[in-house]
Amino acid sequence: MTEITLNVNKKEYRLTVSEDALLLDVLRNNLGLTGTKRGCEVGECGACTVIMDGKTVNSCLVLAVQAQGSEIRTIEGVAENGKLHPVQQSFLEYDAVQCGFCTPGMVLSAVSLLEKKAHPEETEIKEAIAGNLCRCTGYQPIVKAIKAVGEK
Amino acid sequence: MHYYRAKNLKDILNLFESEGDRVHLIAGGTDVLVEARQKPLPQDAFLLDISQTADLRHINEQGQTIHIGASVTHQELAESALIRQSAPLLAQACRQIGSLQIRNRGTLGGNICNASPCADTVPPLLALNANVHIAGLQGKRTVPVAEFFDSPYHPLLNNGEVVSAVSFAKLEPTTRTAFYKLGRRKALAISRINMAVVFKMTEEGFLEDVRLAPGSVFPAWHRVSEAETFLENKKAQLSVFEEAGKLVADKMIAISGRRWSTPYKEPVVAALVKRTLAIAAGVYKGGKL
Repeated sequence: MTEITLNVNKKEYRLTVSEDALLLDVLRNNLGLTGTKRGCEVGECGACTVIMDGKTVNSCLVLAVQAQGSEIRTIEGVAENGKLHPVQQSFLEYDAVQCGFCTPGMVLSAVSLLEKKAHPEETEIKEAIAGNLCRCTGYQPIVKAIKAVGEK
Repeated sequence: MHYYRAKNLKDILNLFESEGDRVHLIAGGTDVLVEARQKPLPQDAFLLDISQTADLRHINEQGQTIHIGASVTHQELAESALIRQSAPLLAQACRQIGSLQIRNRGTLGGNICNASPCADTVPPLLALNANVHIAGLQGKRTVPVAEFFDSPYHPLLNNGEVVSAVSFAKLEPTTRTAFYKLGRRKALAISRINMAVVFKMTEEGFLEDVRLAPGSVFPAWHRVSEAETFLENKKAQLSVFEEAGKLVADKMIAISGRRWSTPYKEPVVAALVKRTLAIAAGVYKGGKL
């Protein structure tokens, strides 16, 4: 076990974790941030996507100890002051949520894309969310919802 | 288990010295952590994180040579203006790896040291005549990428050694290159077969200095000298590329024999060679060839 400091959603947390603990597990179990979903655990599905230093990563493929010193953003840190992020609002408007399991990862991939490119093309949107699987196969409304944010 | 984040190459070598065989390297973790699920790391393992090691994070040019640190990520290579300009096929290969989440973590050094037969960066590096730079307790050494692998999943790396960088001569602006990846789907796909080509084309359209490197075709990585020799000084046209494709498929059968996958792989390898050459020559218009 080792003591680490994690910066998650602009808050510092001091934690004692096992060296082999995944960031995914520490977010969910130690910090109670269960918006980050456990899916395939091998980096295929993107349900556990978080933003680390401005880049999307699969939190199932990052050790908590590796995330020390980085800024982590989870889905819980996307809405600000009780107001939904434009991407979240757009997902609601376009019915881009079916079972909801892929939604946190999808939203974070979209947020990260839009922060780099405010008006992405459809192909860029599809490339940005290629690492997020939706088993309800509701991709069309998701792409439309992201595109609509860029067009506003 | 212990965890340590190496700040520089000296840190890595010091740990090799003090911890010996207990040291397990981790960079992006996109292979190491997947494998650790099947076979957990030993309790006394010393996990040495080289993902943020400053000496392994550079992309630069020194004279006519491009140097890439081992811990540079696939996405950084895909986005690098220098790589896109001077080795476009490597940037293309990196851009098609996994997903953005994987590319943001996975590293060039990790891709070649994992030594999977379908590693996407290896065919481009073979076609670039790249060198692998290795640092270790016994000093530094450099080997051509073609001589870096023993067999699938077994790089020729000794205990107490780490790949520090990869380098290759900058391609001339007139050099043609292409990388083609065949996967079961567009994203998050493991390559079934991939192909890298580099050649020069004279103003009259004749091929020179042809380098052809397939992936997932042979049990060990190598370029296909039979096809390269055949293509030398030939006119860049589809009939020639088709012939080269057959030579590569023949070579595959000569090495591996006829196997259950041959009825699929033989025509597909031939077609991919033809297609990749055609893309590089600028005569591929899409669709079937």
